[in-house]
Amino acid sequence: MVKKFKGLEKIEVELKDEVYKGIVMPNSDSETLFLKLESGYNVGINIKDIKKVKILDKKIDIKSSTVKVKHNKNLPTVSILHTGGTIASKVDYNTGGVVARFEPEELVSMFPELEKIANIKSIFVSNVFSENLRFKDYVNISKAIEKEIKSGVKGIIIGHGTDTMHYSAAALSFMFDNLPVPVVLVGSQRSSDRGSSDAALNLINATYFIANTEFTGVAICMHKDINDDTCLIMPALKTRKLHSSRRDAFKIINDEAIAEVNYSKNKIKMIKELKNEKGAWKSKNKFEEKVGILRTYPNLNSKQIESFKGYKGLVIEGTGLGHISIDNSPENKKIFNALKKLSKSCVIVMTSQCIFGRVNMNVYSTGRELQKIGVISGEDMTTETAYIKLAWLLGNYKKDQVKQMISTNLKGEINKRIGLEFI
Amino acid sequence: MIMINYKELGFKSGLEIHQQIEGRKLFCKCPAIVNDENEPNIKFKRKLRAIAGETGKIDRAAEFEMSKDKEVIYEACSSSSCLVEYDEEPPHELNKDSLDIALQICLLLNCKVVDSIQFMRKTVVDGSNVSGFQRTALIGTNGFINTSKGKVNIETVCLEEEAAKKVKEENNSITYRLDRLGVGLIEIATAPEIKDSEHAREVASIIGMILRSTGKVKRGIGSIRQDVNVSIKGHNRIEIKGFQDLKNIPRTIDNEIHRQLKTKNEEGHVRKANPDFTTEYQRPMPGASRMYPETDIKIIKITKKMLDSLELPELISEKTNKFIEKYKFSEELSRELIKMDIDFESYIHKFSKVNPEFIANVLVEVRKEIQSRFDKEVTIPMIENALGYYNEGKVGKDAVYEILVDFATKGDADLKKYEQVDEKEIEKEIKEIIHKNKNLSFGALMGEIMKKYRGKVDGKKASELLNKHLKQ
Ligand SMILES: [Zn+2]
Repeated sequence: MVKKFKGLEKIEVELKDEVYKGIVMPNSDSETLFLKLESGYNVGINIKDIKKVKILDKKIDIKSSTVKVKHNKNLPTVSILHTGGTIASKVDYNTGGVVARFEPEELVSMFPELEKIANIKSIFVSNVFSENLRFKDYVNISKAIEKEIKSGVKGIIIGHGTDTMHYSAAALSFMFDNLPVPVVLVGSQRSSDRGSSDAALNLINATYFIANTEFTGVAICMHKDINDDTCLIMPALKTRKLHSSRRDAFKIINDEAIAEVNYSKNKIKMIKELKNEKGAWKSKNKFEEKVGILRTYPNLNSKQIESFKGYKGLVIEGTGLGHISIDNSPENKKIFNALKKLSKSCVIVMTSQCIFGRVNMNVYSTGRELQKIGVISGEDMTTETAYIKLAWLLGNYKKDQVKQMISTNLKGEINKRIGLEFI
Repeated sequence: MIMINYKELGFKSGLEIHQQIEGRKLFCKCPAIVNDENEPNIKFKRKLRAIAGETGKIDRAAEFEMSKDKEVIYEACSSSSCLVEYDEEPPHELNKDSLDIALQICLLLNCKVVDSIQFMRKTVVDGSNVSGFQRTALIGTNGFINTSKGKVNIETVCLEEEAAKKVKEENNSITYRLDRLGVGLIEIATAPEIKDSEHAREVASIIGMILRSTGKVKRGIGSIRQDVNVSIKGHNRIEIKGFQDLKNIPRTIDNEIHRQLKTKNEEGHVRKANPDFTTEYQRPMPGASRMYPETDIKIIKITKKMLDSLELPELISEKTNKFIEKYKFSEELSRELIKMDIDFESYIHKFSKVNPEFIANVLVEVRKEIQSRFDKEVTIPMIENALGYYNEGKVGKDAVYEILVDFATKGDADLKKYEQVDEKEIEKEIKEIIHKNKNLSFGALMGEIMKKYRGKVDGKKASELLNKHLKQ
């Protein structure tokens, strides 16, 4: 008798000694009925113990906000593209439901500061966990960006799940030439339904940065540290998620921040000199599907290398300065032979699992041997950036060109002069 | 003071009791430390945002806090906090020990335990929870306790997180310390069925006793808090918080009734209990709790098997009565013994030749006396050893005290000093002492004897012998 509820009906259930009154929760299953009681608590009740059910009210509706947004002609317009990892969620306390919100009215009602910085456009692109993104999603996002550029906005914010935000940032960096506007990726490590969410600060600081600087290109805007005051504008190709849960999870690798932003103090500190690209913008948005990553480790089996047969590109995340086990012991010798064979048809790039620092394949004989069979140094690129770059290059250029371009700096992915910056 | 006719005034009152749980915190492995002795070595600041609900409205209590628009500063010690408290890591799985305690308490309060427990996020906007919400779950409903004035129903038992402690409030910032954030709390709400102000104290005291009976809850100042809801006819409900002592409850409630009788009906609000039994305005009554599911924590199914396997502790009140009835101990001694949290029955078996009252006295009174006299600790193993020697007849009754003094002050005791001396030898010695000190009083003679035989002979025995020989 309980199964027929879809959720959100107000009911009364009678058990042997108790009566519960509440709203049916959608997560109820065939064994347990979850009710949200008038006190606000949810409780699970064994369905087999229910003696009697009375419907008090049909489905409860989730209401939306009624805030009106006015266009302010003195302020620039910023578009927010939602791809997932909702930066704006609302709680419906009647039902306990958390609902992702994408309407500009909702964004402004949740983050009233935005209205003072810019006119907000809000565009829904997709709503997927970032670990599920595929190359075709990058193409979709790029098309949405193109549309916004054409509409003449001052800049674009991309709301993005944090897990693979640095991959997407890298993809967008390579896809656009002479990007005429800032494209800033923003995420949150604490969901936006809670008062302590980092989403607000990241979104507000990103909007403030776009509205008040001449920066163009792709960047990531996230917390500088665990305090809720300053965000870093981080170079899209030199940034990586380094912590599974902290709000300052994103760190810059082998480079420095573009700027520091603190909206509440009206402060933008530019750190990097801006080198804005001139000329007409264009995009190249093909990616090669058969590209992979292999992380090396002690006792690696040669079958791992063989499994990349048919691949057009492979990034090896080697140890130290860029190494993989290829000495004369039997299994390692097999690895060497497999690599030699693979490199005939596949572009192999070496990065370092140290994360920080540059690959240098001249220091030890292992590196020199690897170069001989065609493994190319990924310089100081992160594995993620090298992977996206390789897939993009193979999608748009010939193999010989790819081999030459992979270790050439195209968009800031390779830093020829690494300073003392570290964690 | 005028007598209060509670019934005529339409007196309605219920209690809400919060009790801290010992052990580890609810959703991380940090120790449940309430006041860390270390200096805070971590400091960070946050801005909490009001998360507007479905109507875009923020409730009254929330608005009251938000209007301050303050920066929140958090101080923490790495010894009592981790990323979970800083809201930099999702909660871990629920502490199973804490759940067991909550379930035990539900059963002791005759509650129906819910079939599935779902933790909720209760929105908190004053900064006392770094996350912006308190995690809380309804565990039991529909219980009762028996009191001298009849049954009082228990409406709910919840398991929740303790909030951070406010240490400073300035114009534009509030500072909290995170030591106690996340410590488990049991929240018990009674029905508004309390008959009068003294009854409120009794109900609070019975619930407190039941909580302590588990042996797993915190003791000391601030570890249990009683909030009292009071209303009388024609007046809105008032909540009184912050009682320093249970004893203050009746007078404070009575004063509050008198205050209300003298004032016009006010909007319901929260008042703070002062040590002088008066109350003062604290803040508006919180609006309806704004809760939504805590999706980071799995739903917990409570099976019959889980409940059956719980061992329910004997209530302190039952234990006290047992000591009084079985051994004829005083109520005071019985309570002190229970407080020590030892298995007294096992001592009676172990030291079967020793009088139970003597054992109890050594455990409670002798221990206390030596500790305060020498400012040294007397441990349970020391007492067990000393009682053991006496039980085996190696030393006399009086030697137990002396041996414990030696253990506590020197760490060791020379048993030879206290070996029981042959009665004939003592008699010989007594005769000699009498002979040598003909002018001395009985007391002085006793002093001479005990100087020589302290611990080796029972004082009572020595005095008997002395008497016998003086008469001769
Ligand atoms: Zn912790």
